[in-house]
Amino acid sequence: MGSVVLPHLVTGWHVDQAILSEEERLVVIRFGRDWDADCMRQDEVLYRIADRVKNFAVLYVCDLDQVPDFKQMYELYDPVTLMFFFRNKHMMCDFGTGNNNKLNWVLEDKQELIDIIETIYRGAKKGRGLVVSPKDYSTRYRY
Amino acid sequence: MSGRKDFLSQIAPENYVAGLGRGATGFTTRSDLGPAREGPSEDQIKEALAKRAAQLGAAPPTAYGATEKKEEDDDDDRFQDPENETGLFANGQFDRDDDEADRIYQDIDERMEKRRKSRREAREAQERADYEANNPKIQQQFADLKRSLASVSEEDWANLPEAGDLTRKNKRTKTEARNRFYAVPDSVIAGARDSTQMDTSVVDDGSTNGAGGDAMDGTMTNFADIGAARDKVLQVRLDQAAQSGGADSTSGIATNIDPKGYLTSLSKSELKAGEVEVGDINRVRALLESVIKTNSRHAPGYLALSRLEELAGKIVAARNVIAKGCEICGSQSEDIWLEAIRLSSGGDNHNGKVIAANALKAQPQSTRLWIQAMELENTIPGKKRVMRKAADFLSKSVVIWKEMIKLEDSEQDAKLLLAKATEEIPLSVELWLAYARLVAQTETPENAQKVLNKARLANPSSHLVWIAASRLAEETGKGNPEQIIRRAIQSLARENAMLKREEWVQEAEKCETEGAIKTAACLIRETLGYGLDDDDDDRKNIWMEDAQGSISRGRYETARAIYAYALRVYFTSRKLWRAAVDLEKAHGTPEALFQLMEKSVEAVPNDEGLWMMYAREKWRTNELDEARKILGRAFNQNPESESIYLSAFQLEADNHQISAARELLRTARQEASTDRVWYKSVAFERQQGDNEAALDLCQQALNTFPSCWKLHALKGQIYTSKGQIPQAREAYNVGTRACPAAVPLFILLSRLEEASGVVVKARSVLERGLMSSPKSAELRLEAIRVERRAGNIPQAKVLMAKALQALPSSGLLWSESIWHLEPRTQRKPRSLEAIKKCDNDPTLFVTVARVFWNERKLDKAANWFEKAIVLDADLGDTWAWYVKFLMQHGTEEKRREVVEKCVANEPRHGEVWQRVRKEPANKALGTEEVLKRVVRLLDEEEKGRGG
Repeated sequence: MGSVVLPHLVTGWHVDQAILSEEERLVVIRFGRDWDADCMRQDEVLYRIADRVKNFAVLYVCDLDQVPDFKQMYELYDPVTLMFFFRNKHMMCDFGTGNNNKLNWVLEDKQELIDIIETIYRGAKKGRGLVVSPKDYSTRYRY
Repeated sequence: MSGRKDFLSQIAPENYVAGLGRGATGFTTRSDLGPAREGPSEDQIKEALAKRAAQLGAAPPTAYGATEKKEEDDDDDRFQDPENETGLFANGQFDRDDDEADRIYQDIDERMEKRRKSRREAREAQERADYEANNPKIQQQFADLKRSLASVSEEDWANLPEAGDLTRKNKRTKTEARNRFYAVPDSVIAGARDSTQMDTSVVDDGSTNGAGGDAMDGTMTNFADIGAARDKVLQVRLDQAAQSGGADSTSGIATNIDPKGYLTSLSKSELKAGEVEVGDINRVRALLESVIKTNSRHAPGYLALSRLEELAGKIVAARNVIAKGCEICGSQSEDIWLEAIRLSSGGDNHNGKVIAANALKAQPQSTRLWIQAMELENTIPGKKRVMRKAADFLSKSVVIWKEMIKLEDSEQDAKLLLAKATEEIPLSVELWLAYARLVAQTETPENAQKVLNKARLANPSSHLVWIAASRLAEETGKGNPEQIIRRAIQSLARENAMLKREEWVQEAEKCETEGAIKTAACLIRETLGYGLDDDDDDRKNIWMEDAQGSISRGRYETARAIYAYALRVYFTSRKLWRAAVDLEKAHGTPEALFQLMEKSVEAVPNDEGLWMMYAREKWRTNELDEARKILGRAFNQNPESESIYLSAFQLEADNHQISAARELLRTARQEASTDRVWYKSVAFERQQGDNEAALDLCQQALNTFPSCWKLHALKGQIYTSKGQIPQAREAYNVGTRACPAAVPLFILLSRLEEASGVVVKARSVLERGLMSSPKSAELRLEAIRVERRAGNIPQAKVLMAKALQALPSSGLLWSESIWHLEPRTQRKPRSLEAIKKCDNDPTLFVTVARVFWNERKLDKAANWFEKAIVLDADLGDTWAWYVKFLMQHGTEEKRREVVEKCVANEPRHGEVWQRVRKEPANKALGTEEVLKRVVRLLDEEEKGRGG
């Protein structure tokens, strides 16, 4: 359901434009495939929070089959990946999982996701490149 | 969502490379999953472009770029032609338009290729055929022969002969390889040389004879032998050291070395042929031999080698070497011939003459060789013969002519030769002058004059000829040097051959040394103003400097002429007059001095100094009346001058004309009533012993000049000498109040108090003085001394510390501190500190000298005394200390010399000196007597302190 409503980025150019065009807000892009079950779950959550974070974040989805350009560059080999950009800068977040570059599991708790986005936004506004997630996910998800 | 962004509904541009527009870079994670570090690289971009194009089903984007590139992938980018770079724009955006353009160009190229294809190919084939016909390959040339090889049978092949070395090429290369030469290394040469040589450094005295048997086979090491040999070497060394140490140092200890003789003895020992290390000579010989071998036409190499052989004592070898050198490079180097001649000398000069003949055959143009050949001849006629021959070859050589003339004893012949020489070399001024001198000696001055005239015609730009003419005129008294010099200057100026002013002064000085005083004076008169502007203010200084320079070189006549000229230009310059007078006083006759002084006072009648100097000179020559007259004239010119009054008074007083002196002072007091006149009057009366009159005058003087501290001091001293202590104290007190800055008054007062036993009061007086003049070293010193004399050493030390803090650069204070307040061991470090603080204080220097004296470092002490005297010759104490030092350690002459110098310098200052000088009883003493007294006083003081 969420996959339909959230704006899609259909080419690499659109992805770049989405990242470049936002001056004040955090850009959150979900890389994955719309037909994937994990993706659908994640998109549902994203759709739910989209309105609540609209003041400081904008959410996009991007189909990896449609836009394979970033697969190698961003190592997009997971079914679902959330990435964060602020003013054309890739924002990192220490989730405790060992991969600070992206959020590559399905996070279904809405408030947790909002907290993460807000934390990253605040850090980004202060000029940080890496923020620490409000919650440690190291024990919950395996790698 | 807050509104859709525009770009979401736009179409992406064609051939866009993702991430390129925003410069995205990848990242590496801990679980490195692929090459993600870089953003899209160049290759990636190109690949992406090609891939996309393939996906879209279109042709490859460029006719030249990506696809072609793949084929020649092994070609490195580095080898690209920079002029014609492919893929130059590969980084840019490549859109459909570019692609179309590329395609069109490709079409055109293909079409142009096709258009005249057949015709062009035909033409190219034709050209190739032509070329091959003109330049046939070897293969083609032998094509027909090759074809006939088909008919060669199996047997023929087997019977083919072996290829022999018909051209002998192989043999040649082999022999060449065998005949190759290599440079022999120096080590081999040295080894070969040493193999046949005897080593004489250790003399075998037979001590190893017994051990000879086991030493022979070399399997055993005889330690006893080694030890003996070492002892031997040491002994030789020691003997050598003892010898070179000199015969006078009998002690023979190695440390006992005479520092002056050491170096000379070193150089001497090095030059002794027998003592030079044989190894050194061998090494140098090998070097020099290789020099000669590598560059056989290098004369200095032969020279050096022959010198070496000579040094080694092998004179025959040296001669051989030099002979070889002469043979090889005799036509280039004179030196080698000269060396050969030198080496051949010994006994008769026969060999030398032969060599010289050869040398002159090789180099007939060498003056040096001719001279050498001449010197080889023993007899005068022989020498003459050689020189005459030389003159045939070298008729333009001044040296040859001069030698020839020197050989002639008869003046007539010499004259003839000179005439011939001047004819041959008219430009040699030297020869002309010699000729003229000879003519002047033997014939009439007129003839000399003629010679000089000829010389002048030949050398119009030579000033020497003119000067010689002038000197001739001066010597013979015929002709006017002045006129000659004037004409000389005119003609030289015409010829643009004028010397610089300084050079003229030098010429004048030279003339003076050779006795031609008039010429010197004329030269100065004519040339001193040359090259200087008439309105140049510096002229005076320049002339003064010239004169000073001449005086310092001892050329007083020249200096006199310079002053005369300068005074003619600056008639009223006091400075010049004084300088001229000083010159006359130091180096002239009294008559000349008086003449000059007379002129000077006429020129500058207002200069009191000149008048006084004049009077004093007259007085010194015991012409008292003259002196009086001069002073009278001075009074007329300067009616109110106190110094003239005072000098007149001094004149009378020194000649014991008491009443006249008194009279003069009285008029002076009326005419020029200054404090100095009054003070002198009082002092005069006191010296005469008339204390009452002195006191009276003093009182009068103080009414008009209450702020003259000298008058106060005099008054106090008069009272003291009369024994009226309270009055004296009163006088000093009034004085200190009237002139609080007068340091001596405070000191006098404190001494008075101290003498009457009231140290407390003395202390307070000095403190009062210090309040008004805190920077006075004398006051502080007196305060310290008061404490010291009262036996209060700690207090004195405290005061000294304070004083040194306030006045760290006072030599007086330092001296006192070093000498009286420091323990003996501390004196030297303290003096060092003091010298660092104040490096130019004569008092301190004397103290340092005395410290050295105490430590018996007499050289240093004398040195420091000299330094102190140079620093301030007006300080009598320094002289006294030095004389005292010399009385103990100096020679009689040195002492006399110092005393004389002291008298000449007339010192007037110094603590003890002034005390002795100012004593009324000592007024008639000369400087020398005062010096003696001061020395005696110093002695007494020292003894008193020592006791």
